[in-house]
Amino acid sequence: MYDIKILEDNWEKYKIKKRKPWYIFIFFILVVIGIIFILLKSDFTFFSDDQNFFTKINDFTISKTKLNNNSKDYALINGPLNRLELIEDTSKNIKKVDVSNDLLVDIPILDIPDESISTQVDALKRKKPHLNIIESTNVKAYKDVEKRFYESHDIDDGLFLARSYYKKENYKKSEYWSLQVNKLDTNVEESLFIFVKSKIKLGHKNEALGILISYIKKSNSKEAKNLLLHINNNKF
Amino acid sequence: MKSRYATAKNVFLDSIDIDDYIELDSSVVTYQLLEQSIEKPLKMILLFGKPGTGKSILLNRLHKKLKQQKEIYYFDTPAANEKEFFYKLFKVLAQQKLPNNTEINFSALIEFCQNLRGKREIVILLDEAQMYSAEIMEKIRLLSDTRTIKFVVSLHKTEDEDLIAKEHFQSRIWEVIELRNATNKEQTSYIHKKLLKKNLFEIANSIKEKDMKLIHKFTKGNYRECNKLMFTIFEICEYYDKNEPAKINYAKIPKKIIEMSALKLGYIHV
Repeated sequence: MYDIKILEDNWEKYKIKKRKPWYIFIFFILVVIGIIFILLKSDFTFFSDDQNFFTKINDFTISKTKLNNNSKDYALINGPLNRLELIEDTSKNIKKVDVSNDLLVDIPILDIPDESISTQVDALKRKKPHLNIIESTNVKAYKDVEKRFYESHDIDDGLFLARSYYKKENYKKSEYWSLQVNKLDTNVEESLFIFVKSKIKLGHKNEALGILISYIKKSNSKEAKNLLLHINNNKF
Repeated sequence: MKSRYATAKNVFLDSIDIDDYIELDSSVVTYQLLEQSIEKPLKMILLFGKPGTGKSILLNRLHKKLKQQKEIYYFDTPAANEKEFFYKLFKVLAQQKLPNNTEINFSALIEFCQNLRGKREIVILLDEAQMYSAEIMEKIRLLSDTRTIKFVVSLHKTEDEDLIAKEHFQSRIWEVIELRNATNKEQTSYIHKKLLKKNLFEIANSIKEKDMKLIHKFTKGNYRECNKLMFTIFEICEYYDKNEPAKINYAKIPKKIIEMSALKLGYIHV
């Protein structure tokens, strides 16, 4: 009789040897799957980023209510972004159009605290095409916002108009729109500031100072005090 | 107490005993072919095949079956030298032993055979003929030319031996019968019949189709290798049955044991 223990040990070794090609094969398959997964993931990330970009823009445009809570500048972004969606495919043509500095001034810079929104706005800023849209649809865009304001009484729309007209030196309109916003919400400090500044520009400095001082008394706002200082120093 | 596997093991002891002969379809055909060839007026018949394909047992069976009807002789072991071969041949032809201190005169032997032509028809079955020297083979060829002695030459089939067969017998061999390794089906039948012959039905039933395939894979359908493998399998089974019965499944021969046997016999390696 043979030594069964030795034979059993040899059989165990044989079993391992027999399975070796399978282990190698499985390992190879796993490596291949891993490589494919990594490659796909990297491709997907690239694609997915773009997709996110558009998705976020859509969200931004469509779900106005989301922004209402976080952003004063919804109205500002809303118009341009709507157009951005439409002309994204024609970006080549858009790039060819010169963007003037005046126009850049025309578009207020967003200062949205929310990180996600600011990222999108940054992306938008990088993409100059939307400026051209504003240029080409400038008047219509303001009309649209005004129309929308009368329908929805959205503070952000009103603020956008006040801010924009002020920058365009159309102080009558900026006074009007800041007043509209103030009627809706007296706590929107910016509307008050635009109103005061517009008044001063229109030559009603005393009236403007009276309003500002009474507001400072009421709110003790640091920003309002700064503005008062600026006015007193004749920086307007 | 004797293990059930002890009997099974002994069934596969390698032997050319006619009682152990298993009739398979292919072996029946070969046997009939050989029997018919002997009846034909041929001088020499070449039976060849790889070792373990059943040449010896076939010759043995033929001898046993025809010895009552014909003058047939079976030289199972090859003669060590020419003298020994002619001593055996003289005994066959003269029906007596060669007297001491005498030698065969080959020319006289040829003449003797020629004189016997038509009177006697002698068949000599030469097993393991590849072991005969070229000189003896040449004399065998001359003896067959007398048409008194018909030789059935059994050769191992290898490339070299094929060459021998061609060189020495090409012009004289009228019939060539080749024995081949068994197919899986034939080998399965062989194993089952061997076990059933000894009433080992349960054990025969414990070797499943998959196991048979594995056995055939290891032995390549060679009967001798099959006997060796089956013997080893049952020997290991016997060990487990006696010493570690928990490790053995009586309803099915474990694959592990078949592989262990194959390792033991060198069919597979670690």
